[in-house]
Amino acid sequence: MKLASREAQGVVVLEPKGKIMGGPDATAMHELLHDLVAHDKKRVVIDLSGVDWMNSTGLGILISGLTTMRNAGGDLKLANVTEKIESLLTITKLVTVFETFDTTQSALDSFPRS
Amino acid sequence: MARLKRELVIPNSQTHLAEADDFIESSLESIGLDKGVIADIAISATELINNAILHGNRGNATKKVLIRLLVDGDRVQVDIIDQGDGFDPFSVPSPLAPENLLKEVGRGIFISKSLVDSLEFGREPGWGTRATLIKSVAGSIESQ
Repeated sequence: MKLASREAQGVVVLEPKGKIMGGPDATAMHELLHDLVAHDKKRVVIDLSGVDWMNSTGLGILISGLTTMRNAGGDLKLANVTEKIESLLTITKLVTVFETFDTTQSALDSFPRS
Repeated sequence: MARLKRELVIPNSQTHLAEADDFIESSLESIGLDKGVIADIAISATELINNAILHGNRGNATKKVLIRLLVDGDRVQVDIIDQGDGFDPFSVPSPLAPENLLKEVGRGIFISKSLVDSLEFGREPGWGTRATLIKSVAGSIESQ
């Protein structure tokens, strides 16, 4: 997995690519999400368009990021969720927990302007 | 005769997870299996490999994990075998319960089982716990 990040409209956009299955790359993404809060960046969009698939480790990272952001008064939203990941979110009922958007731009626009 | 029969042994470390995934995915690609079905098997298998590394072998770096892949007719079977003393894979509370929905862990076996036709656990002589996933791939192989 590769992980790129950028900022737009006061929101951090993370763009992981490949597979999120556990191991050092997944740990790095987990740590990055926690580092963001430490730097007062608590509004995040994860663009999943480049993620082939993820397993429970990937879902755990998303949940960790979500709770960390929300506990800090921010939020974490998902964009471009692929069919495979949507299916995982459905069978795990996490579809009820995450806010998802068809495009990164619509996810960015859903945050109140700061 | 089996269409495909391969095995891989990896050291007991998550740093070798990608190697195990490549082994499974490239093997299944070589017989022309549909990518979506390969992803289901890979997700299911990597859950079990993580489980073998962290829970079966309890993170012990001196141990190994054996991955055995068998494609026979329309059936894919993957055995994930650790060197541990055994554990109860179904002792984890339901990840769908409202109180568990936001837990970061505890979904691996549930997801693994959801994506295949059967998931069973047993003992492998000379090794430890064996997790066996089976998925029917009828109609999902290009050459059929």
